[in-house]
Amino acid sequence: MAAKPRVAFFDFTGCEGCELNQLNFENQLLDMLEHVDIVEWREAMDDRPGEYDIAFVEGSLSTPDCIKRINDIRRRAKVLVAVGACAVQGGINGMKNTRPIEEVREEVYGKDKYLFPTLPALPLSAVVKVDVNVRGCPMTQLEFLKVFTALVMGKQPVEPNSAVCVECKLKENECVYEKGMICLGPVTRGGCDAHCPSFGQYCTGCRGLVPEPNLKAMEEILVKHGLSVNEAWKRLHLYNSHELEGLKS
Amino acid sequence: MDLKFLASDRVEAFVSHLMQQKTVYAPQHTGKHSVALEKVDDPAAVILDYGRTMQSVKKFFLPPRDELLSFDLTDHSFTPAAVEPLDAILLGIHSYDRAAIDRLDYNFSQGHPEKNYLTRREGVVWVGVSFEPDEFHFSGSVGISPHETAGFDAFLTRVREGYLVEVLTDAGRELVSGFELPPAERPKPAPGHFHQHIFLPQAKLNEVMAASYNNEIWAEMAEKCVGCGSCNIVCPTCYCFNVEENVDITVTGGTRERIWDGCMLREFTEVAGGEVFRGGLAERQRHRVMRKFKYLSDKTGHPWCVGCGRCTAYCTAGISIVSIVNRCVSDFEERHTTAM
Repeated sequence: MAAKPRVAFFDFTGCEGCELNQLNFENQLLDMLEHVDIVEWREAMDDRPGEYDIAFVEGSLSTPDCIKRINDIRRRAKVLVAVGACAVQGGINGMKNTRPIEEVREEVYGKDKYLFPTLPALPLSAVVKVDVNVRGCPMTQLEFLKVFTALVMGKQPVEPNSAVCVECKLKENECVYEKGMICLGPVTRGGCDAHCPSFGQYCTGCRGLVPEPNLKAMEEILVKHGLSVNEAWKRLHLYNSHELEGLKS
Repeated sequence: MDLKFLASDRVEAFVSHLMQQKTVYAPQHTGKHSVALEKVDDPAAVILDYGRTMQSVKKFFLPPRDELLSFDLTDHSFTPAAVEPLDAILLGIHSYDRAAIDRLDYNFSQGHPEKNYLTRREGVVWVGVSFEPDEFHFSGSVGISPHETAGFDAFLTRVREGYLVEVLTDAGRELVSGFELPPAERPKPAPGHFHQHIFLPQAKLNEVMAASYNNEIWAEMAEKCVGCGSCNIVCPTCYCFNVEENVDITVTGGTRERIWDGCMLREFTEVAGGEVFRGGLAERQRHRVMRKFKYLSDKTGHPWCVGCGRCTAYCTAGISIVSIVNRCVSDFEERHTTAM
Protein backbone atom coordinates (compact mmCIF):
# COMPACT_ATOMS: atom_id res chain seq x y z
CA MET A 1 0.00 0.00 0.00
CA ALA A 2 1.16 3.50 -0.85
CA ALA A 3 2.24 5.87 1.91
CA LYS A 4 -0.59 7.42 3.87
CA PRO A 5 -1.74 10.88 2.77
CA ARG A 6 -0.09 13.65 4.78
CA VAL A 7 -2.80 15.81 6.30
CA ALA A 8 -2.51 19.25 7.89
CA PHE A 9 -4.97 21.55 9.65
CA PHE A 10 -4.79 25.34 9.59
CA ASP A 11 -6.84 28.17 11.00
CA PHE A 12 -7.39 31.80 10.11
CA THR A 13 -9.96 34.30 11.40
CA GLY A 14 -12.64 32.33 13.19
CA CYS A 15 -13.62 30.85 16.51
CA GLU A 16 -11.86 27.48 16.05
CA GLY A 17 -15.24 25.82 16.55
CA CYS A 18 -14.74 23.78 13.39
CA GLU A 19 -11.46 22.42 14.68
CA LEU A 20 -13.06 21.59 18.00
CA ASN A 21 -15.68 19.73 16.00
CA GLN A 22 -12.88 17.78 14.30
CA LEU A 23 -11.35 16.89 17.66
CA ASN A 24 -14.83 15.82 18.73
CA PHE A 25 -14.78 12.84 16.36
CA GLU A 26 -14.13 10.62 19.34
CA ASN A 27 -15.67 7.52 17.80
CA GLN A 28 -13.97 7.95 14.43
CA LEU A 29 -10.57 9.52 15.19
CA LEU A 30 -8.70 6.22 15.53
CA ASP A 31 -10.19 4.90 12.28
CA MET A 32 -9.26 8.15 10.57
CA LEU A 33 -5.68 7.91 11.77
CA GLU A 34 -5.44 4.45 10.15
CA HIS A 35 -5.67 6.18 6.77
CA VAL A 36 -3.70 9.40 7.15
CA ASP A 37 -0.68 10.90 8.87
CA ILE A 38 -1.46 14.19 10.55
CA VAL A 39 1.66 16.27 10.04
CA GLU A 40 0.62 19.74 11.21
CA TRP A 41 -2.13 20.94 13.48
CA ARG A 42 -1.63 23.97 15.70
CA GLU A 43 -4.72 23.20 17.78
CA ALA A 44 -3.40 19.68 18.53
CA MET A 45 0.41 19.52 17.97
CA ASP A 46 3.55 21.62 17.34
CA ASP A 47 5.48 20.03 14.39
CA ARG A 48 6.01 21.81 11.02
CA PRO A 49 6.78 19.81 7.87
CA GLY A 50 7.03 20.91 4.22
CA GLU A 51 4.28 19.46 2.06
CA TYR A 52 0.76 18.16 2.46
CA ASP A 53 -1.51 15.90 0.48
CA ILE A 54 -4.59 17.40 2.10
CA ALA A 55 -4.84 20.75 3.91
CA PHE A 56 -7.98 21.44 5.93
CA VAL A 57 -8.30 25.18 6.45
CA GLU A 58 -10.62 26.96 8.86
CA GLY A 59 -11.38 30.67 9.14
CA SER A 60 -11.68 33.66 6.83
CA LEU A 61 -8.85 35.85 5.56
CA SER A 62 -8.86 39.27 7.20
CA THR A 63 -5.28 40.60 7.38
CA PRO A 64 -2.44 40.97 4.86
CA ASP A 65 -0.61 38.25 6.82
CA CYS A 66 -3.53 35.84 6.22
CA ILE A 67 -3.11 36.34 2.46
CA LYS A 68 0.60 35.50 2.66
CA ARG A 69 -0.05 32.39 4.75
CA ILE A 70 -2.88 31.01 2.60
CA ASN A 71 -0.76 31.41 -0.54
CA ASP A 72 2.01 29.52 1.21
CA ILE A 73 -0.37 26.72 2.27
CA ARG A 74 -1.81 26.52 -1.23
CA ARG A 75 1.66 26.14 -2.74
CA ARG A 76 2.42 23.24 -0.41
CA ALA A 77 -0.93 21.42 -0.52
CA LYS A 78 -2.12 19.03 -3.23
CA VAL A 79 -5.75 19.30 -2.10
CA LEU A 80 -7.05 22.32 -0.20
CA VAL A 81 -10.29 21.93 1.74
CA ALA A 82 -12.13 24.99 3.08
CA VAL A 83 -13.75 24.02 6.39
CA GLY A 84 -16.70 25.89 7.85
CA ALA A 85 -18.69 29.02 7.01
CA CYS A 86 -15.76 31.47 7.56
CA ALA A 87 -13.45 29.64 5.17
CA VAL A 88 -16.11 28.76 2.60
CA GLN A 89 -18.11 31.98 2.31
CA GLY A 90 -16.50 34.48 4.71
CA GLY A 91 -18.96 33.61 7.45
CA ILE A 92 -20.23 35.97 10.08
CA ASN A 93 -16.90 37.80 9.97
CA GLY A 94 -18.14 39.10 6.64
CA MET A 95 -20.71 41.27 8.38
CA LYS A 96 -17.99 43.88 8.77
CA ASN A 97 -17.74 44.07 4.97
CA THR A 98 -21.01 46.01 4.89
CA ARG A 99 -19.28 48.98 6.61
CA PRO A 100 -16.26 51.10 5.63
CA ILE A 101 -13.13 49.20 6.70
CA GLU A 102 -11.57 52.23 8.47
CA GLU A 103 -14.65 52.67 10.63
CA VAL A 104 -14.56 48.99 11.70
CA ARG A 105 -10.83 49.19 12.42
CA GLU A 106 -11.25 52.24 14.61
CA GLU A 107 -14.16 50.69 16.50
CA VAL A 108 -12.17 47.57 17.37
CA TYR A 109 -8.65 48.92 17.94
CA GLY A 110 -9.29 52.55 18.81
CA LYS A 111 -6.18 54.72 18.87
CA ASP A 112 -3.93 51.69 18.20
CA LYS A 113 -5.62 50.97 14.88
CA TYR A 114 -2.40 51.73 12.90
CA LEU A 115 -0.76 48.70 14.54
CA PHE A 116 -3.39 46.33 13.10
CA PRO A 117 -3.78 46.29 9.34
CA THR A 118 -7.12 44.73 8.40
CA LEU A 119 -9.02 43.73 5.26
CA PRO A 120 -12.65 42.92 4.50
CA ALA A 121 -13.19 39.27 5.61
CA LEU A 122 -12.67 37.02 2.60
CA PRO A 123 -13.46 33.39 1.94
CA LEU A 124 -10.40 31.34 0.97
CA SER A 125 -11.71 31.05 -2.58
CA ALA A 126 -11.36 34.83 -3.03
CA VAL A 127 -7.58 34.41 -2.87
CA VAL A 128 -6.62 30.82 -3.74
CA LYS A 129 -8.16 27.87 -5.56
CA VAL A 130 -10.25 25.77 -3.18
CA ASP A 131 -10.74 22.12 -4.16
CA VAL A 132 -13.44 21.06 -1.73
CA ASN A 133 -15.84 22.77 0.71
CA VAL A 134 -17.07 21.46 4.03
CA ARG A 135 -19.81 23.88 5.00
CA GLY A 136 -21.61 24.86 8.19
CA CYS A 137 -21.10 26.87 11.38
CA PRO A 138 -19.54 24.96 12.92
CA MET A 139 -18.66 22.63 10.03
CA THR A 140 -21.13 19.79 9.51
CA GLN A 141 -19.50 16.66 10.95
CA LEU A 142 -21.39 14.31 8.64
CA GLU A 143 -20.11 16.21 5.62
CA PHE A 144 -16.54 16.30 6.92
CA LEU A 145 -16.55 12.49 7.24
CA LYS A 146 -17.91 12.11 3.69
CA VAL A 147 -15.25 14.46 2.33
CA PHE A 148 -12.53 12.75 4.36
CA THR A 149 -13.39 9.25 3.09
CA ALA A 150 -13.76 10.44 -0.49
CA LEU A 151 -10.32 12.12 -0.41
CA VAL A 152 -8.67 9.10 1.24
CA MET A 153 -10.10 6.99 -1.59
CA GLY A 154 -8.85 9.50 -4.16
CA LYS A 155 -12.34 10.56 -5.25
CA GLN A 156 -13.86 14.01 -5.74
CA PRO A 157 -16.46 14.56 -2.98
CA VAL A 158 -19.97 15.54 -4.07
CA GLU A 159 -21.05 18.94 -2.72
CA PRO A 160 -24.74 19.16 -1.80
CA ASN A 161 -26.47 22.12 -3.44
CA SER A 162 -30.20 21.66 -2.80
CA ALA A 163 -32.02 23.74 -0.18
CA VAL A 164 -32.41 22.79 3.48
CA CYS A 165 -36.18 22.53 2.76
CA VAL A 166 -35.56 19.24 0.97
CA GLU A 167 -34.04 17.66 4.06
CA CYS A 168 -36.80 19.02 6.33
CA LYS A 169 -39.45 17.58 4.04
CA LEU A 170 -37.64 14.22 3.83
CA LYS A 171 -37.74 14.08 7.63
CA GLU A 172 -41.31 15.42 7.73
CA ASN A 173 -40.30 18.20 10.10
CA GLU A 174 -43.08 20.66 10.83
CA CYS A 175 -42.32 23.63 8.60
CA VAL A 176 -40.63 26.41 10.59
CA TYR A 177 -42.92 28.95 8.87
CA GLU A 178 -45.96 27.00 10.10
CA LYS A 179 -44.68 27.55 13.62
CA GLY A 180 -44.68 31.28 12.97
CA MET A 181 -40.88 31.62 12.79
CA ILE A 182 -38.64 32.95 10.02
CA CYS A 183 -36.31 30.49 8.29
CA LEU A 184 -33.61 30.79 5.62
CA GLY A 185 -33.97 27.12 4.66
CA PRO A 186 -35.52 27.86 1.25
CA VAL A 187 -32.31 29.48 -0.09
CA THR A 188 -29.69 27.80 2.10
CA ARG A 189 -27.68 24.80 0.98
CA GLY A 190 -28.60 21.54 2.68
CA GLY A 191 -26.21 18.76 3.58
CA CYS A 192 -26.70 19.31 7.33
CA ASP A 193 -29.72 16.96 7.45
CA ALA A 194 -31.74 20.05 8.46
CA HIS A 195 -30.06 19.93 11.85
CA CYS A 196 -31.41 23.18 13.34
CA PRO A 197 -35.07 22.89 12.23
CA SER A 198 -35.03 19.26 13.43
CA PHE A 199 -34.28 20.51 16.95
CA GLY A 200 -36.86 23.27 17.12
CA GLN A 201 -34.69 26.06 15.73
CA TYR A 202 -34.81 27.93 12.41
CA CYS A 203 -32.19 27.94 9.68
CA THR A 204 -29.83 30.92 9.97
CA GLY A 205 -28.20 30.15 6.64
CA CYS A 206 -24.80 29.02 7.92
CA ARG A 207 -24.13 26.69 4.98
CA GLY A 208 -24.32 29.51 2.48
CA LEU A 209 -26.70 30.30 -0.37
CA VAL A 210 -27.81 27.73 -2.94
CA PRO A 211 -26.29 28.26 -6.42
CA GLU A 212 -28.08 31.04 -8.37
CA PRO A 213 -30.31 32.01 -5.43
CA ASN A 214 -33.54 33.89 -6.21
CA LEU A 215 -33.00 36.56 -3.57
CA LYS A 216 -35.79 38.85 -4.70
CA ALA A 217 -38.27 35.98 -4.19
CA MET A 218 -36.70 35.16 -0.81
CA GLU A 219 -37.06 38.79 0.24
CA GLU A 220 -40.76 38.57 -0.68
CA ILE A 221 -41.19 35.41 1.40
CA LEU A 222 -39.51 37.01 4.42
CA VAL A 223 -41.56 40.19 4.09
CA LYS A 224 -44.77 38.19 3.63
CA HIS A 225 -43.99 36.47 6.94
CA GLY A 226 -43.55 39.67 8.87
CA LEU A 227 -40.03 41.08 8.40
CA SER A 228 -39.33 44.53 7.00
CA VAL A 229 -37.21 44.63 3.83
CA ASN A 230 -34.29 45.89 5.91
CA GLU A 231 -34.62 43.06 8.46
CA ALA A 232 -34.93 40.51 5.65
CA TRP A 233 -31.61 41.55 4.14
CA LYS A 234 -29.93 41.65 7.56
CA ARG A 235 -30.93 38.02 8.07
CA LEU A 236 -29.58 37.08 4.67
CA HIS A 237 -26.33 38.93 5.37
CA LEU A 238 -25.54 37.07 8.59
CA TYR A 239 -23.51 34.37 6.85
CA ASN A 240 -23.50 35.64 3.29
CA SER A 241 -22.14 39.19 3.40
CA HIS A 242 -19.21 38.46 1.12
CA GLU A 243 -21.42 36.97 -1.61
CA LEU A 244 -24.18 39.57 -1.24
CA GLU A 245 -21.77 42.52 -1.28
CA GLY A 246 -20.27 40.99 -4.42
CA LEU A 247 -23.69 40.79 -6.08
CA LYS A 248 -24.33 44.44 -5.28
CA SER A 249 -21.24 45.73 -7.05
CA MET B 1 -74.05 -2.25 0.88
CA ASP B 2 -74.81 -2.20 4.56
CA LEU B 3 -73.73 0.90 6.37
CA LYS B 4 -72.63 0.65 9.99
CA PHE B 5 -72.08 3.28 12.65
CA LEU B 6 -69.00 3.96 14.78
CA ALA B 7 -69.73 6.43 17.56
CA SER B 8 -66.97 9.01 18.34
CA ASP B 9 -66.49 7.61 21.85
CA ARG B 10 -65.74 4.14 20.42
CA VAL B 11 -63.04 5.20 17.94
CA GLU B 12 -60.27 4.42 20.43
CA ALA B 13 -61.68 0.94 21.04
CA PHE B 14 -61.91 0.44 17.27
CA VAL B 15 -58.25 1.40 16.84
CA SER B 16 -57.30 -1.04 19.63
CA HIS B 17 -59.27 -3.73 17.83
CA LEU B 18 -57.25 -3.09 14.68
CA MET B 19 -53.98 -3.05 16.62
CA GLN B 20 -54.64 -6.61 17.80
CA GLN B 21 -54.59 -7.76 14.18
CA LYS B 22 -51.64 -6.01 12.56
CA THR B 23 -49.36 -3.02 12.98
CA VAL B 24 -51.43 0.12 12.43
CA TYR B 25 -50.19 3.35 10.86
CA ALA B 26 -52.47 6.37 11.22
CA PRO B 27 -52.40 10.18 11.33
CA GLN B 28 -51.01 11.61 14.57
CA HIS B 29 -49.84 15.05 15.65
CA THR B 30 -46.10 15.64 15.19
CA GLY B 31 -46.33 19.33 16.05
CA LYS B 32 -48.94 21.88 16.91
CA HIS B 33 -49.87 22.40 13.26
CA SER B 34 -48.69 19.18 11.67
CA VAL B 35 -50.02 15.68 11.31
CA ALA B 36 -48.06 12.69 10.02
CA LEU B 37 -48.78 9.04 9.35
CA GLU B 38 -46.96 7.19 12.11
CA LYS B 39 -47.03 3.77 13.75
CA VAL B 40 -49.75 3.71 16.38
CA ASP B 41 -48.66 2.91 19.93
CA ASP B 42 -51.44 4.77 21.72
CA PRO B 43 -54.95 4.49 20.20
CA ALA B 44 -55.87 7.83 21.79
CA ALA B 45 -53.22 9.60 19.68
CA VAL B 46 -54.92 8.78 16.37
CA ILE B 47 -56.52 11.76 14.60
CA LEU B 48 -59.11 10.95 11.95
CA ASP B 49 -60.24 14.54 11.38
CA TYR B 50 -57.29 16.31 9.75
CA GLY B 51 -56.43 18.47 6.75
CA ARG B 52 -53.41 16.72 5.29
CA THR B 53 -50.21 15.00 6.31
CA MET B 54 -46.97 16.50 4.98
CA GLN B 55 -45.97 13.15 3.48
CA SER B 56 -48.44 10.75 1.94
CA VAL B 57 -48.58 6.94 2.38
CA LYS B 58 -46.00 6.79 -0.42
CA LYS B 59 -43.30 7.00 2.26
CA PHE B 60 -44.04 3.45 3.40
CA PHE B 61 -43.49 1.92 -0.03
CA LEU B 62 -40.84 4.29 -1.35
CA PRO B 63 -39.02 5.54 1.78
CA PRO B 64 -37.36 8.98 1.54
CA ARG B 65 -34.02 7.26 2.12
CA ASP B 66 -33.89 3.64 1.11
CA GLU B 67 -30.82 1.44 1.44
CA LEU B 68 -30.54 -0.62 -1.73
CA LEU B 69 -27.46 -2.65 -0.87
CA SER B 70 -24.35 -2.77 1.25
CA PHE B 71 -20.93 -3.49 -0.22
CA ASP B 72 -17.60 -4.77 1.02
CA LEU B 73 -14.53 -3.16 -0.52
CA THR B 74 -12.12 -5.82 0.76
CA ASP B 75 -13.62 -8.66 -1.30
CA HIS B 76 -15.75 -6.59 -3.74
CA SER B 77 -18.97 -8.31 -2.71
CA PHE B 78 -22.38 -6.82 -2.11
CA THR B 79 -25.59 -7.78 -0.31
CA PRO B 80 -28.96 -6.43 -1.43
CA ALA B 81 -30.91 -4.86 1.43
CA ALA B 82 -33.70 -7.03 2.83
CA VAL B 83 -37.11 -5.71 1.79
CA GLU B 84 -40.24 -6.89 3.61
CA PRO B 85 -43.93 -6.41 2.77
CA LEU B 86 -45.39 -3.60 4.87
CA ASP B 87 -48.11 -6.01 6.05
CA ALA B 88 -49.99 -3.41 8.07
CA ILE B 89 -53.25 -1.57 8.41
CA LEU B 90 -53.18 1.96 7.00
CA LEU B 91 -55.90 3.80 8.87
CA GLY B 92 -57.34 7.24 8.19
CA ILE B 93 -56.15 7.63 4.61
CA HIS B 94 -57.76 10.26 2.38
CA SER B 95 -59.11 9.23 -1.03
CA TYR B 96 -56.57 11.32 -2.99
CA ASP B 97 -53.67 9.55 -1.29
CA ARG B 98 -55.15 6.15 -2.14
CA ALA B 99 -55.56 7.34 -5.74
CA ALA B 100 -51.91 8.43 -5.77
CA ILE B 101 -50.87 4.88 -4.90
CA ASP B 102 -52.78 3.57 -7.95
CA ARG B 103 -50.65 5.89 -10.05
CA LEU B 104 -47.39 4.84 -8.39
CA ASP B 105 -48.39 1.17 -8.82
CA TYR B 106 -48.57 1.89 -12.55
CA ASN B 107 -45.20 3.70 -12.54
CA PHE B 108 -43.39 0.98 -10.66
CA SER B 109 -44.87 -2.01 -12.49
CA GLN B 110 -44.32 -0.72 -16.05
CA GLY B 111 -41.33 -2.03 -17.97
CA HIS B 112 -38.88 -3.46 -15.46
CA PRO B 113 -41.02 -3.91 -12.31
CA GLU B 114 -39.50 -2.23 -9.27
CA LYS B 115 -39.09 -4.94 -6.68
CA ASN B 116 -38.58 -2.88 -3.52
CA TYR B 117 -41.73 -0.81 -4.02
CA LEU B 118 -43.88 -3.74 -5.14
CA THR B 119 -42.71 -5.97 -2.28
CA ARG B 120 -43.50 -3.33 0.36
CA ARG B 121 -46.93 -2.78 -1.21
CA GLU B 122 -48.02 -6.30 -0.20
CA GLY B 123 -50.20 -7.13 2.77
CA VAL B 124 -51.72 -3.70 3.27
CA VAL B 125 -55.28 -3.30 4.54
CA TRP B 126 -56.64 0.13 3.63
CA VAL B 127 -59.06 1.99 5.89
CA GLY B 128 -60.05 5.32 4.39
CA VAL B 129 -61.61 8.35 5.99
CA SER B 130 -63.56 11.20 4.40
CA PHE B 131 -62.16 14.73 4.53
CA GLU B 132 -63.60 18.21 4.60
CA PRO B 133 -61.98 20.16 1.73
CA ASP B 134 -59.89 23.08 2.99
CA GLU B 135 -58.49 26.09 1.11
CA PHE B 136 -55.95 23.91 -0.75
CA HIS B 137 -57.75 20.64 -1.64
CA PHE B 138 -58.98 20.34 -5.24
CA SER B 139 -59.19 16.59 -5.79
CA GLY B 140 -62.78 17.02 -7.00
CA SER B 141 -61.35 18.66 -10.14
CA VAL B 142 -59.36 15.50 -10.93
CA GLY B 143 -62.30 13.19 -10.27
CA ILE B 144 -61.59 12.20 -6.67
CA SER B 145 -64.42 12.82 -4.21
CA PRO B 146 -63.75 13.18 -0.47
CA HIS B 147 -66.00 10.10 -0.18
CA GLU B 148 -64.35 8.05 -2.93
CA THR B 149 -63.97 4.47 -1.67
CA ALA B 150 -62.03 2.94 -4.60
CA GLY B 151 -59.06 0.92 -3.39
CA PHE B 152 -60.13 0.83 0.25
CA ASP B 153 -61.08 -2.27 2.25
CA ALA B 154 -63.17 -0.20 4.62
CA PHE B 155 -64.14 3.46 4.63
CA LEU B 156 -65.18 5.83 7.38
CA THR B 157 -67.36 8.81 6.54
CA ARG B 158 -67.42 11.52 9.15
CA VAL B 159 -70.82 12.55 10.48
CA ARG B 160 -71.60 14.71 13.48
CA GLU B 161 -71.70 11.95 16.10
CA GLY B 162 -68.99 9.70 14.71
CA TYR B 163 -68.33 7.76 11.50
CA LEU B 164 -70.39 5.74 9.05
CA VAL B 165 -68.50 2.54 8.29
CA GLU B 166 -68.55 0.90 4.86
CA VAL B 167 -67.03 -2.56 4.63
CA LEU B 168 -65.91 -2.98 1.04
CA THR B 169 -63.84 -6.18 0.73
CA ASP B 170 -63.26 -9.53 2.43
CA ALA B 171 -60.17 -8.06 4.08
CA GLY B 172 -62.36 -5.24 5.39
CA ARG B 173 -64.93 -7.72 6.72
CA GLU B 174 -62.20 -9.62 8.54
CA LEU B 175 -60.92 -6.36 9.99
CA VAL B 176 -64.20 -5.39 11.67
CA SER B 177 -65.34 -8.91 12.60
CA GLY B 178 -65.56 -9.29 16.35
CA PHE B 179 -66.14 -5.55 16.81
CA GLU B 180 -69.78 -4.71 17.41
CA LEU B 181 -70.99 -2.03 14.98
CA PRO B 182 -74.71 -1.15 14.95
CA PRO B 183 -76.35 -0.39 11.59
CA ALA B 184 -76.28 3.28 10.62
CA GLU B 185 -79.54 5.11 11.11
CA ARG B 186 -79.00 7.48 8.20
CA PRO B 187 -77.53 7.34 4.70
CA LYS B 188 -74.10 8.66 3.71
CA PRO B 189 -74.26 12.46 3.60
CA ALA B 190 -73.18 14.50 0.57
CA PRO B 191 -69.42 15.22 0.49
CA GLY B 192 -68.13 18.66 1.41
CA HIS B 193 -67.67 21.34 -1.25
CA PHE B 194 -64.28 22.24 -2.65
CA HIS B 195 -62.99 25.82 -2.50
CA GLN B 196 -60.45 25.28 -5.29
CA HIS B 197 -61.29 24.17 -8.82
CA ILE B 198 -59.49 23.52 -12.07
CA PHE B 199 -61.80 24.79 -14.83
CA LEU B 200 -61.44 21.88 -17.27
CA PRO B 201 -61.40 18.05 -17.10
CA GLN B 202 -58.20 16.22 -18.06
CA ALA B 203 -59.57 15.18 -21.47
CA LYS B 204 -59.44 18.85 -22.49
CA LEU B 205 -56.40 19.79 -20.40
CA ASN B 206 -54.12 17.68 -22.60
CA GLU B 207 -54.80 20.06 -25.49
CA VAL B 208 -54.53 23.15 -23.30
CA MET B 209 -51.23 22.12 -21.76
CA ALA B 210 -49.82 21.20 -25.18
CA ALA B 211 -50.53 24.78 -26.25
CA SER B 212 -49.08 26.27 -23.04
CA TYR B 213 -45.44 25.40 -23.54
CA ASN B 214 -44.53 29.02 -24.27
CA ASN B 215 -47.01 30.63 -21.87
CA GLU B 216 -45.62 33.61 -19.94
CA ILE B 217 -46.83 32.05 -16.69
CA TRP B 218 -43.63 29.98 -16.39
CA ALA B 219 -41.41 33.06 -16.36
CA GLU B 220 -43.79 34.84 -14.00
CA MET B 221 -43.69 31.93 -11.54
CA ALA B 222 -39.89 31.80 -11.80
CA GLU B 223 -39.82 35.30 -10.32
CA LYS B 224 -41.67 34.14 -7.21
CA CYS B 225 -40.06 30.71 -6.84
CA VAL B 226 -36.85 30.08 -4.85
CA GLY B 227 -36.43 26.55 -6.22
CA CYS B 228 -36.40 24.89 -2.80
CA GLY B 229 -38.06 21.77 -4.20
CA SER B 230 -40.61 21.40 -1.39
CA CYS B 231 -43.43 21.00 -3.96
CA ASN B 232 -41.73 17.89 -5.37
CA ILE B 233 -40.77 16.39 -2.05
CA VAL B 234 -44.30 16.56 -0.59
CA CYS B 235 -46.06 15.39 -3.79
CA PRO B 236 -47.73 11.96 -3.43
CA THR B 237 -47.19 11.10 -7.12
CA CYS B 238 -43.60 12.32 -7.52
CA TYR B 239 -41.33 9.30 -7.61
CA CYS B 240 -37.95 10.49 -8.87
CA PHE B 241 -34.91 9.57 -6.84
CA ASN B 242 -31.17 9.93 -6.80
CA VAL B 243 -28.73 7.16 -5.90
CA GLU B 244 -25.84 7.85 -3.54
CA GLU B 245 -23.04 5.68 -2.25
CA ASN B 246 -21.52 6.24 1.16
CA VAL B 247 -18.30 4.61 2.29
CA ASP B 248 -17.85 4.28 6.03
CA ILE B 249 -14.89 5.73 7.86
CA THR B 250 -12.96 2.44 7.94
CA VAL B 251 -12.94 2.56 4.11
CA THR B 252 -13.71 -1.17 4.01
CA GLY B 253 -17.37 -1.00 3.03
CA GLY B 254 -20.48 1.09 2.74
CA THR B 255 -24.02 1.37 1.47
CA ARG B 256 -25.87 2.44 -1.65
CA GLU B 257 -28.99 4.48 -0.90
CA ARG B 258 -31.70 6.03 -2.98
CA ILE B 259 -33.03 9.38 -1.87
CA TRP B 260 -36.06 11.27 -3.18
CA ASP B 261 -35.14 13.85 -5.77
CA GLY B 262 -37.20 16.52 -7.52
CA CYS B 263 -37.32 18.21 -10.92
CA MET B 264 -37.45 21.68 -9.30
CA LEU B 265 -33.92 21.15 -7.98
CA ARG B 266 -31.05 22.47 -10.02
CA GLU B 267 -28.84 19.38 -9.81
CA PHE B 268 -31.72 17.15 -11.00
CA THR B 269 -30.74 17.74 -14.61
CA GLU B 270 -27.04 18.27 -14.03
CA VAL B 271 -24.90 15.80 -15.94
CA ALA B 272 -21.21 14.97 -16.10
CA GLY B 273 -19.24 18.02 -17.14
CA GLY B 274 -21.54 20.37 -15.27
CA GLU B 275 -24.16 20.92 -18.01
CA VAL B 276 -27.65 21.64 -16.56
CA PHE B 277 -30.47 20.87 -18.98
CA ARG B 278 -33.18 22.82 -17.18
CA GLY B 279 -31.09 25.58 -15.68
CA GLY B 280 -33.88 28.12 -15.22
CA LEU B 281 -36.71 28.02 -12.70
CA ALA B 282 -39.23 28.71 -15.49
CA GLU B 283 -38.27 25.55 -17.37
CA ARG B 284 -38.30 23.56 -14.16
CA GLN B 285 -41.75 24.84 -13.11
CA ARG B 286 -43.10 24.05 -16.57
CA HIS B 287 -41.68 20.55 -16.40
CA ARG B 288 -43.22 19.91 -12.96
CA VAL B 289 -46.70 20.99 -14.06
CA MET B 290 -46.47 19.18 -17.41
CA ARG B 291 -45.52 15.97 -15.59
CA LYS B 292 -48.77 16.23 -13.64
CA PHE B 293 -51.16 17.39 -16.38
CA LYS B 294 -49.67 16.40 -19.71
CA TYR B 295 -46.76 13.98 -20.12
CA LEU B 296 -48.15 11.08 -18.06
CA SER B 297 -51.73 12.03 -18.89
CA ASP B 298 -51.06 11.70 -22.63
CA LYS B 299 -49.93 8.17 -21.92
CA THR B 300 -52.57 7.05 -19.43
CA GLY B 301 -55.56 9.38 -19.85
CA HIS B 302 -55.37 10.40 -16.19
CA PRO B 303 -53.89 13.49 -14.58
CA TRP B 304 -50.86 12.57 -12.46
CA CYS B 305 -52.04 15.10 -9.88
CA VAL B 306 -54.54 13.94 -7.25
CA GLY B 307 -55.55 17.36 -5.92
CA CYS B 308 -54.20 16.97 -2.39
CA GLY B 309 -53.01 20.60 -2.39
CA ARG B 310 -49.69 19.78 -0.70
CA CYS B 311 -47.44 21.56 -3.23
CA THR B 312 -49.42 24.75 -2.68
CA ALA B 313 -49.94 24.37 1.08
CA TYR B 314 -46.20 23.89 1.71
CA CYS B 315 -44.95 26.54 -0.75
CA THR B 316 -43.54 29.40 1.29
CA ALA B 317 -43.67 31.57 -1.85
CA GLY B 318 -47.41 30.93 -2.24
CA ILE B 319 -47.28 29.40 -5.74
CA SER B 320 -50.53 27.59 -6.56
CA ILE B 321 -50.66 24.76 -9.09
CA VAL B 322 -54.40 25.36 -9.50
CA SER B 323 -53.78 28.99 -10.46
CA ILE B 324 -51.06 27.97 -12.93
CA VAL B 325 -53.31 25.43 -14.68
CA ASN B 326 -56.30 27.79 -14.71
CA ARG B 327 -54.16 30.54 -16.19
CA CYS B 328 -53.14 28.14 -18.98
CA VAL B 329 -56.84 27.34 -19.50
CA SER B 330 -57.98 30.98 -19.60
CA ASP B 331 -55.12 32.03 -21.90
CA PHE B 332 -55.97 29.12 -24.20
CA GLU B 333 -59.65 30.02 -24.28
CA GLU B 334 -58.91 33.67 -24.87
CA ARG B 335 -56.71 32.85 -27.85
CA HIS B 336 -59.33 30.45 -29.13
CA THR B 337 -62.13 33.03 -28.87
CA THR B 338 -60.02 35.78 -30.46
CA ALA B 339 -59.19 33.48 -33.36
CA MET B 340 -62.88 32.98 -34.05
